[in-house]
Amino acid sequence: MFRPTPRASGYFRTDYAQDLALLQTRAERIGLAALVAILVTLPFVATPFLLDLACQVFLASIGALSLMLLTGYAGQISLGHAGLIAAGAFTTGILTREIHAPFWLTLPASALTGVVLGLVFGLPSLRLRGLYLAVSTLALHFIVIYLGGEYETKRGFSTGILIEKPSLGGFKLTDGRAWYFVLLIFAAATLLICVNLLRSRSGRAWRAIHARETVAEALGISISGYKLLAFVISSAMTSVAGCLFAYYRGVVSIEAFDLFLSIQYVAMIIIGGMGSLLGALLGAAFVTVFPYAIEALLKLLPNVQKLAGDIFAVNYASFGVVMILFLILEPLGLVGIWRRLQNYFLLWPFKYKPLAGTRK
Amino acid sequence: MAELAIENLSLRFGGLTVLDNVSFTVEPGELMALIGPNGAGKTSALNCISGIYRGSGAIRLRGKDIAGLAPHDIARLGVARTFQHGELFPQMSVLENLLTGRHARVGTNPLAEMLFLPSVRRAEVAHRGAIERIIDLVELERFRHAPVGALPFGVQKLVGFARALALEPTVMLLDEPSAGLNREEREDLARFILRIKQELKMTIVWIEHDMQMIADLADRIHVLDYGRTIADGKPDAVLSDPNVLVAYLGTETVQSTIVQATPLP
Repeated sequence: MFRPTPRASGYFRTDYAQDLALLQTRAERIGLAALVAILVTLPFVATPFLLDLACQVFLASIGALSLMLLTGYAGQISLGHAGLIAAGAFTTGILTREIHAPFWLTLPASALTGVVLGLVFGLPSLRLRGLYLAVSTLALHFIVIYLGGEYETKRGFSTGILIEKPSLGGFKLTDGRAWYFVLLIFAAATLLICVNLLRSRSGRAWRAIHARETVAEALGISISGYKLLAFVISSAMTSVAGCLFAYYRGVVSIEAFDLFLSIQYVAMIIIGGMGSLLGALLGAAFVTVFPYAIEALLKLLPNVQKLAGDIFAVNYASFGVVMILFLILEPLGLVGIWRRLQNYFLLWPFKYKPLAGTRK
Repeated sequence: MAELAIENLSLRFGGLTVLDNVSFTVEPGELMALIGPNGAGKTSALNCISGIYRGSGAIRLRGKDIAGLAPHDIARLGVARTFQHGELFPQMSVLENLLTGRHARVGTNPLAEMLFLPSVRRAEVAHRGAIERIIDLVELERFRHAPVGALPFGVQKLVGFARALALEPTVMLLDEPSAGLNREEREDLARFILRIKQELKMTIVWIEHDMQMIADLADRIHVLDYGRTIADGKPDAVLSDPNVLVAYLGTETVQSTIVQATPLP
């Protein structure tokens, strides 16, 4: 299902369960083992800066995966993503400040907040489509930010709610390396949940609704039910990302969740490649690393001191340019480039390609 | 009891009467052809049965009135349909399209799906088995994993037919399954229609323009013209009915009145 091209010959499946396996060839198993090995050794060789960057990528991955589920697969556009992250973060912040709630309580509470918000702000999707739906999800963002801001001023946390680092099983999560592994596990779990949903009944229903709503309904799929389900699951996962974000940063403040964050998440799934989980991961990494890369590039220029004030502007502008370039030149996103590379090296150095769809 | 009974079905879009007091019944295991000139209301009648349009009048499935139910509830009761232009999910493979068609028969819940629990795995394997039997029936083995959007039109129509079968319906609504197919593909299709009628004992309502196919296969023909029933009966009788001939071929007088009433755009 997730393999567009053949990568090995001589693997014969003899029952349908084997066809469902996520890893089917030895190359895939070795590839995964190598990836895990790299991810596990990385924090022991990386600088604190790189470690922080990796943590940010993992956080963004959770958000991007859940938005991909909603937009890339179920076809429901949402601009309320930053609002949902804020909702998770504020739930965590408020609970720790008010009742000193531990991690195992704030995490499900954030998820529950996401479920409720997803249910409420998924309702317009039953009537609205496309741009109109996007605008209605925008309301979610403003309402959450307003409520968060009210809480901050009423309780006198105008600079943000400070949150203590959580402890897991008596082990306090202060170390960057520990955080790296916690976030890695959460991101991997999110990915697995998405993969599982997409290879079963719900995932097929979402893709069907995305492609042809009336036909999907005539086939026995409850449109309203599955649209709401997509909103609920996506929002819950996003709010969990918000909860982790709050703990990781140690402070929650509405400034962190502006509309630009929502745009960034939409950009992640577009740049990564719509309708692909790998795309969500690539997009999350790209958009997170991009500003640092631009900054590093600018520092290579002569007379950097003069440019220091313009760094933000250059960042925003180049982000916009990259977005436009992707939309025009590579609508399939990073994942499209990746697939083309795969295709090219499929039988390299030979020229012959297998016919499309002949695999299996 | 009739498997499907339409009683006084009327449908209006604003001032346009699409269906005007149409009634017909289809007995269990019967293959009824629904014919009529373009714009006669054949597809609208099908849309009413599958709940996409809401007309007035009763639509009884095994005696139970299903008019006004949501399309997905009607599908769950065992009414499957194909669409005139295939209307497949182009990004998905043939297998995924068929599994989607089987949605109402799969009982897994999203929480179990998230973890892909053994129950979900077992269900997926079992339904894959059922899908494979349908793939076998309509001879789509070669295309199983191919993305549907890339397949030739004739194959796509067959996938649409198979997707409807995947629901394991008792009533099958076919909307011009042979449109756009070549001679050979039509012959295959005729074979499959007879197969589901004889082996699976399905009740079939079949919209069709190929008179030869209808005359050969249908048990009964129901003819619509301008939303009204003009004939119903055995193929031989209906196809030689003067009213039907007029509706299809026109007569000098009828044609001249139509031209006067509605000048060509």
